[in-house]
Amino acid sequence: MRFIFAVIRQVFRNFRQTWASQFMTLLTVSLSVFIFAFFYLVYINMLSIGDKLGYDLRLIVYLEEEPIPELQEQLKRKILAFDEVEDIRFVSKAEAIERFRRQLGDDQDVLEDMPGDFLPASIEVVPMKNLRSLNQVKLFSEYLGKLPGTIKVQYGQDWIERFYYFTRLVSIIVVLSAGLLILTSVFMVSYKIRLTIIGRKQELELLKLVGATYNYIRTPFFVEGFLHGLLGSTLGLSALFGLFYWIQIKFSGPGILNIFEFSFFEPPVIVTLAIVSILLCTTGSYTSMRKYLRT
Amino acid sequence: MTELYNGTMVELIKVSKHYHPNIQALSDVSISINTGEMVFITGRSGAGKTTFLKLLCRMELPTKGLVEIDGADIRRMRGKNLARLRQTIGVAYQDFKLLTDRTVAENIAISMEVSYRKQNQIKQRVRDLLDELDLADKHGSMTGDLSRGEQQRVALARAVANSPKLILVDEPTGNLDSTTTGRVMKMLSSLHREGTTVLIATHDHTIYRNVDHRLLELRGGQMHQLRDGVMQ
Repeated sequence: MRFIFAVIRQVFRNFRQTWASQFMTLLTVSLSVFIFAFFYLVYINMLSIGDKLGYDLRLIVYLEEEPIPELQEQLKRKILAFDEVEDIRFVSKAEAIERFRRQLGDDQDVLEDMPGDFLPASIEVVPMKNLRSLNQVKLFSEYLGKLPGTIKVQYGQDWIERFYYFTRLVSIIVVLSAGLLILTSVFMVSYKIRLTIIGRKQELELLKLVGATYNYIRTPFFVEGFLHGLLGSTLGLSALFGLFYWIQIKFSGPGILNIFEFSFFEPPVIVTLAIVSILLCTTGSYTSMRKYLRT
Repeated sequence: MTELYNGTMVELIKVSKHYHPNIQALSDVSISINTGEMVFITGRSGAGKTTFLKLLCRMELPTKGLVEIDGADIRRMRGKNLARLRQTIGVAYQDFKLLTDRTVAENIAISMEVSYRKQNQIKQRVRDLLDELDLADKHGSMTGDLSRGEQQRVALARAVANSPKLILVDEPTGNLDSTTTGRVMKMLSSLHREGTTVLIATHDHTIYRNVDHRLLELRGGQMHQLRDGVMQ
């Protein structure tokens, strides 16, 4: 118990004496957590959007002629020969026009002078949910394009490709910002503690001479690292939540952002981020103290 | 009548200390100091007095030879054991080693804090020591603002604060007037009477001239006994 009081006393004394550098370290850790968490939040939301898009993904194979039932069976077999699919549905020319008419709603009279078969027949293929990667979809699309009587295959290639590349870019940023978080947390805290050690070298030497144990000397520094991690992650994540909340309020109402549902981190993710941040900061202080006590 | 002591506090057998490149501070020093004894070590500047004291608190390691404190070989002591040993040795350094940005009270309290003494006990002990050394009005002063003589007394107060069983004092009266020297010596004698082993390195003959404790001299890196200790 007296050990705990002694540590608390030292931590407070150190915070009081070096408040400016402590504040700067805290700010840096908070900013790093904020940057990493921001991109990670964007990334996981992109993934959930990607999942949603993938769920709605369907490939439409436009055909030259409306296939007769025997040909339909043959095409079905060929499609299934590539991979299992969730659903294959043949859409006749008449059905296509009927759909188009429904989509036009009140403006459907524009179709009155049009021939009844100007839209091509098609096959709608809903791939299995495990067919997620862009390359797999591309391969499947190329395969479908080679089926007899195919004019072209559509699945919103441009949009999906752009989305896929954007997701990849975000994932790279997440990795980079994770690196930034690790570097800043470990090195900032480590260098801050090293500076403190240099600044308090005389005191630490004296502590050794009057019989302070290594635990007595290093525990306050661990506690400092722990507090930097805890407070830094709390501040960083709180600021991110504030931003998230502000965006939700500002961009509520009709708009592109409302097509998708954005969500904040689940509590286990928040706890994990805080723990990782604490571990990194404590590691930073541990390495500095180990180096010092070894000398 | 020779003093009767209970066991050996300090034992040095053939201890040498060599500093790079070619300074032989101590050569083959062998000495035994009993528990509760008070010993003066004299010698000219650079004779090796400070080195001798540093070996006893393990600030330095001997180049060769055995150093035992209270029966334990301190050369191989590390970590917790070394810390525990140092808690039982109070050292008043020649250069004081005070934290000049801390108050007098904080400086003295450090040696007790590392032993996890109770705060009220620490406060009381600090007050008593400051009274004893005529520094009561300096309780909250920064040690950097004190005179050399005052700093010297603070260093001494810190050395004795934790009630160590061995006190090593390096030139305790170098910056003091005769009255304050008297106070300091009175305090050290009182600790000795209570059973603490006290080693004082000094070249101030006025403090050992009129007492009957053992007097050793370091000369040419070797220890010579000038006078036997006798019961007071």
